[in-house]
Formats: sequence, structure tokens, C-alpha cells
Amino acid sequence: MTDFPITLIFPPQAHFTQPYMGLACLKAWLQEHGFDDVEQVDASVLSYDHFLSADYLRWAVRRAEARGDLEQVAKQDELPFADMDTFRAAAEVAVSGHVLAEKVEDAKAVLRGQDFFDPAKYVPAARTLFHSLRIVSAAWAPSKLTPHNFTMGYSIDRSAEVLAATRDEDQNPYLDYFRTELLPALIKRNPRVLGLSIIYGSQLIPALTLGRLVKEALPNCHVTAGGGFLAYIGEKLLKASALSECLDSIVFHEGEKPLQELCSALRDGTDLKHIASLGYFTQNEAGETVGVKNIAGHPISLNEAPMPDFDGMPFDAYFSPEVVLAYDVNRGCYYGECSFCTLPTVIGPGYRTRSADTIASHVKTMREKYGFSNFNFITDCLPPGMIRELPEELISQGSNIKWWCDARVEPRAYTKEGAERLFEAGCRKLLFGFETAVPRLLKLMKKGQTPRRTLEVANNCNDAGISVTFYAMVGFPSETREEARDTLAMLQENAAGTIGPNGKSGPLREVSLQTFHVDEVAEVFRDPTTYGVELLPDPAADLQLYHDFNANAGMSQLEASEMFDEIMAGLRESLPLFHEDTFFYFTQKSHYFLHLASGLSPDEFIEHCRSRGVARHIELARSESGEALLDLEVVPLTGTCPIPFSYAEVTRRLAHPLARAARPDFLTGTFMPDLELRAAKGIGPVPSNPEKQLVLAYSPNSTEFVELSQDGEAVLDALRDSGSYGNLLQALGQPEGPERERLDLFVLGLHKAGLLFVPQHQLTVS
Amino acid sequence: MNADSADAKNKSKDDSKKSKPAPKKLDLKNLDLSVEKVEERISPSETNVFDK
Repeated sequence: MTDFPITLIFPPQAHFTQPYMGLACLKAWLQEHGFDDVEQVDASVLSYDHFLSADYLRWAVRRAEARGDLEQVAKQDELPFADMDTFRAAAEVAVSGHVLAEKVEDAKAVLRGQDFFDPAKYVPAARTLFHSLRIVSAAWAPSKLTPHNFTMGYSIDRSAEVLAATRDEDQNPYLDYFRTELLPALIKRNPRVLGLSIIYGSQLIPALTLGRLVKEALPNCHVTAGGGFLAYIGEKLLKASALSECLDSIVFHEGEKPLQELCSALRDGTDLKHIASLGYFTQNEAGETVGVKNIAGHPISLNEAPMPDFDGMPFDAYFSPEVVLAYDVNRGCYYGECSFCTLPTVIGPGYRTRSADTIASHVKTMREKYGFSNFNFITDCLPPGMIRELPEELISQGSNIKWWCDARVEPRAYTKEGAERLFEAGCRKLLFGFETAVPRLLKLMKKGQTPRRTLEVANNCNDAGISVTFYAMVGFPSETREEARDTLAMLQENAAGTIGPNGKSGPLREVSLQTFHVDEVAEVFRDPTTYGVELLPDPAADLQLYHDFNANAGMSQLEASEMFDEIMAGLRESLPLFHEDTFFYFTQKSHYFLHLASGLSPDEFIEHCRSRGVARHIELARSESGEALLDLEVVPLTGTCPIPFSYAEVTRRLAHPLARAARPDFLTGTFMPDLELRAAKGIGPVPSNPEKQLVLAYSPNSTEFVELSQDGEAVLDALRDSGSYGNLLQALGQPEGPERERLDLFVLGLHKAGLLFVPQHQLTVS
Repeated sequence: MNADSADAKNKSKDDSKKSKPAPKKLDLKNLDLSVEKVEERISPSETNVFDK
């Protein structure tokens, strides 16, 4: 081991189902270039694991309840928009916090073990984790941590706010986490360089929080950061010299070479000004801290880059039964024309690829080394030649893997035979950029494809057994509601399970729907007139990447957000994978793919999920018919809590597009000016209703929130005390007539809502 | 509110299977027996999953 320890950290927040690739590429490269002591830490998944633990949730409940939010809002005659989130969180903490603490460890075990493949166990476990994160968020309000996002009450496009967020002991959950869980080991290791990989805006505040703590604790450690998000805003960060409290330098675009040269310079004591693609803070002649950006360097030859090295990654911590390894088959896009795409900014200029031979050899070696046979190829598109060559190499080298990746519509390559060969080579899912069904918009986007050819490719892949996902966009400048509805209609007509005019089922399994945003590097930003967009400047946003805008034609941003809901509602009706709780598989990255990799076809997967619904349907039918009605019991650990306002009504209002817009979304992480006020005005307060005393209930089985009246709670209590509905009727003297009918209906309602169940011993079919 | 009072307020508990008399008189004629399962709406930030 050398005396130059390097630690690479993937900071929170990113998704918790599989490791990201950047650190593994950097580690391999550094080791190949003489730095043999490189540690990598996925602090994102480790922090999720920490937060989603019984002890932490119990602590979070105590912290949230100590604020007394529920008591405070109860004093009001009406609940204004500004307090709705607070009320909702406090009600959830009161009714579900302790139950979730009891269940969270089991839920993690389900997702990490073979029970993952049982929908009856997977769905409640996934919901338990979602709800548990709401308890964590309640403890750090107004911060919000979800499986896909982390936001605070600070905007990430203002350096002063970002810096304040890194110091906020009351709202930043990572200060405490880093101090207690990460920093002690870092101090012990005493790295010379700490590298932070920031690829999403949701990582910015946590990464800078960690950077500041490390710089305070280890003054001799050089803290650098790189990654896709910093490729966008790195230059602006360098101009915000106060952020030098958190960082010493920034690596632009791909990090291998600049990081290697940075480590060499720090080891050898040479000047940083010669390192291409590096920016750093330094002192000018006046003694002021200033940021300096060096010239851009040349990209590396990807085919000569080593195989990613995942050694040291916490494989057991991911919330999946088997890790899906990420592997970069190429970088950049060979097409490079789409007017909304900003890829060259993130990856750097040019398109580079590994050879099919190298890819096949690497994945085979990784499979043998790590024992994982599932891969997520990191690529924006495979060129036609690679689509033909890669399967041949994967098959001839005996790679024996299953994989999924993004793809561009290439009709000449995704032929019937081509798709079959891809399936044979382990391809189980492809995600194509469909975007819109409207030719006018496709032309404006410069996609270079037609819906007809896209569907032809999708049908070939589907026929071969490959699951097809489309990326679709709503709100592209000038898009009208009618055009968006045309897109929805085409997606629905081609949904799997929907029989088309040719008598065949449609090819489409999933749609990843996005709303359009204007960012600073897209063509729409550079040439707003062509796209009919008026940009709204925000001079105070010194780290701004995304811009607010008015559309001169077509839908406004708010209308596009409303259309998002309409399209999503249509897709949830039409796509079997989006039906009811099956939707959870879609939202968890590789979780659907893992079923395909285990041997199920897309249709078999849907049938597999339906089995849970069928079992539930049979149970409900038995109680509806009266056969099992008297056996119904209250689900153990079901909680109830009186609430001063309607939780259901508040939840509906918080789902309004205006309410959503008032919070930063996962992409922009920013607050739009005036939207809080607009939302407050447009959504209006929820009145209290003293006559109807409301109660919120939560069942750990169904993991559903249910609103009852206080009368309803009294019946629920009586049911619990009696043991079963049959016993309760007996205690009530066997009521008859309308009273009995009302009670039966209520009990059935409780059963449908998941608060009652038929005990297992009563389920034995005679 | 401290954790203990929260526990008391939250009626989570394991249920007894034994038959017992109803704990209080239920006025079956006038009970408000509404039930609403709260539908959780899907936010765009939870669906754009393959880019993150």
C-alpha cells in the first residue's frame, strides 16, 4: 500500500436499488495508473439503510412529535396551503410512525431476499419503505427524502442558500449522519484526496455538507468533486468563492484523467494549473479566494479504459435481491442532434465506444468476479453496428448475462432477426426515446425518427421477448393539449394487452413520462425565439441551470403539469404494468427487469402480479358474500389518530399541479418565484369540520391510510376488543334490519380499505 | 408530545382473539360510518425513474 490514500464517495441522494458506476471507473483507472490505495463508498445507499432502520425511525418519530405540529394546526379554523405539508406529515407520524419502525427491517429484508419475487410480500414492503421515508422527512421538515429525491427548504440554484443548507442543523439530516457514521472512519483513514461524484442536483447539498465537514476535520485532505451535475454548474460554483469552504477543486466532464493528474500533482507538490479539465479555488494577489478553470482536456480512449472496479461497494446494502451492475459500453451519442438533449455538456464532446469484444470480455469477467449476472449498460444509444456485433460477442464469449439499456430507434438494426439475436444475448429490456406521436414536434426536436418506424422497432423487440419502454415528453415548447392527447392515444393504442387492428397485442410495457424543462445548455435556451419561448431571468440565482419560461404558443408550464396527470392517468389504465400496485415495480429502477432476468416473460410477470390481486379478490368476495364476513378481525398493529382536518382532502390538494410546482422537483431542485403564493391562492385552505370528528387509520398489512369518522373508530375499537365481527354482533345483541345492513357495509368498507382481514385459519377452503 | 404519550395515543396493539363484550354502547342508528381509503397520487418526481 502506498502512502497516498484516496477515498471516493458517492454522496446522497440517488436511487437505492443498484450501485452507480462513476466511482468504479475512477477507482479502476487510478489503480491502473499507480494509485493502489483507492477506497470507494456509496454513502447514498448507506444513508438510506441507516435512515430506514427501526432505531432511526423511532428517533424520527420522537423528533417530529416534539415539535407538536398536530396540536398547533389543530388550533386553526382552517388549514392554509402553507401548513398542509406540515399537517400531513404530523398526522402520518402519529398514526404510522411506530408501526413503520416495527416493520421497516422486515421490509428491507423482503426487498433484499427471495421474498422480493412474491408480489404479496414485495408490494407492502415497498410501500413500507416509501412511508418510512415520510417519517424521516417529517423529522427534518421541510426537507423531503423520497426514494427518488432529496430537497430542502433551500434552493440549489443560489450559492448562499446552498451554503446555509450545509450548516442547517435543524433541517439537514446528513450533517448528523456524516458526523456519526462516516466521518470517524474518514478521520481514521486520513485520505490525501476525497473525490465526490455529483451527478444529480439532489446530491449537491449533501455533497457540499460532507466536503465542509471533511475540510474542517482533515485540513490536509484535498476535497474535489466531479460528475454530470457539476459539468453543468461547475463554472458557476467556481465563481461562488464562499463554496471554497466545502471544496478545493472541481473536475469537469469525465474524471479519469484529471483526477489522476490531480492526485499526482498533490503527491508530487506540482502546480494545479497544468491539469486540463480541472477548476480550483486559489488566492489571488490581493489575498482573495477566486476560482480558476483550466483548459479542457481530451477525452480518454474508452476502449483502453480498464474494467470498472466495484471492490468495496456495499453490495448487501442495496434494496434488491441481486445487484445489477452498471457498465459503460460507450460515452456520448453518435447521433447528437436532439434539440432538448444536453448530453455533450455532461459527458464531454465526441462519441467513444468500447469494442464489442472488450464489452463481452469485461462483463464476463465481472460476472465471474462478483457473482452477479445482471447488467445495466450505461449508454444513451447503441449504434447499428454495435447492435449487430455485441450479441455475437456476448454469445461467442459465453458471457451468460441478462441486461437492459437505453436505445435509439434504429429500424435497420432492430429487425425481427436482430431483436431475436439480442434476446438470445441476454437483452431483456430496451428503453427508446419515443417522445411524442406528433410529427411536427418530432421535427422540432430533431429526433430524426417517425412514430411508425418507432412502433415497428418496438414490435420487433416485443415479439422477440424484449420488454419495451418509451420515454415520452409533455410540454415541449408549442405543444398543444390536443397534441399531447394524440400522444397519449397512440401510447394507449400500443399498450401491451391492447389488441390492435392487426389482431396483435401492443408492444409497449412502460412509459417514462417527463415534463419539459429549459436548461442552460439546451438549444431551446440558446435560441428561444425559434421555439416560441420567452425566458424569465433570475439574476439572484448564481448557480442557475434551469430557467423559468413563458411559452408563446401551446401549453403553459402549469398546463403541461396538468396534462402530465391526464396522461399518467390514461397510462395507468392502459399499461398492465402500471395497474394499481404493480406500478411499484416500474418506479424501482431494475426491479421489474430482475423478474425478466429470472426467466419470466413480460406477460408472465403481469400474470404473476395478478395472482396477488386474485387472492385479495377471493378474500373480499368471501366477505362480501357473507361467507367470511363474521370472521373478520382488525389487522394487528393498526393505528388510529384523531385529526383536526381531512387528511384525504389535504392529500388531494397537495397533489394539485400548483402545489407540486411550489416544491422543487427532482430535476431542477429549485423554487419557482411566487409559486408558493400562487398555490396558496389557487388551492385555497381546507376548513375544519368540528361536527364530523375525523380519525386517520393506518394498517401495516395494506400499508394504506384510511380516513374514518370518530364513530367509525369506535366501531373499529369495538371490533378489536371483541376479537371478530361475529363476536361484536353477539355482544351487540345481534342487531337486524337497516342497522345491521349499515354495520355490514361499514365492516366491508374497512375490509376493502385493508384494516380488517380474514385470519389464515379461516381461509382454508373446504 | 413525548414518545410515551404518542404510544398511548396511537392505538397500535396486538389484538386479543378472545370474545369480549363491546366496550361501550354503540348507537347503531346514528353512527357516521364513512370510510375513505386515501388515494396517493403519483408525482412526476417519482416516475422519471430511469434517468436517476
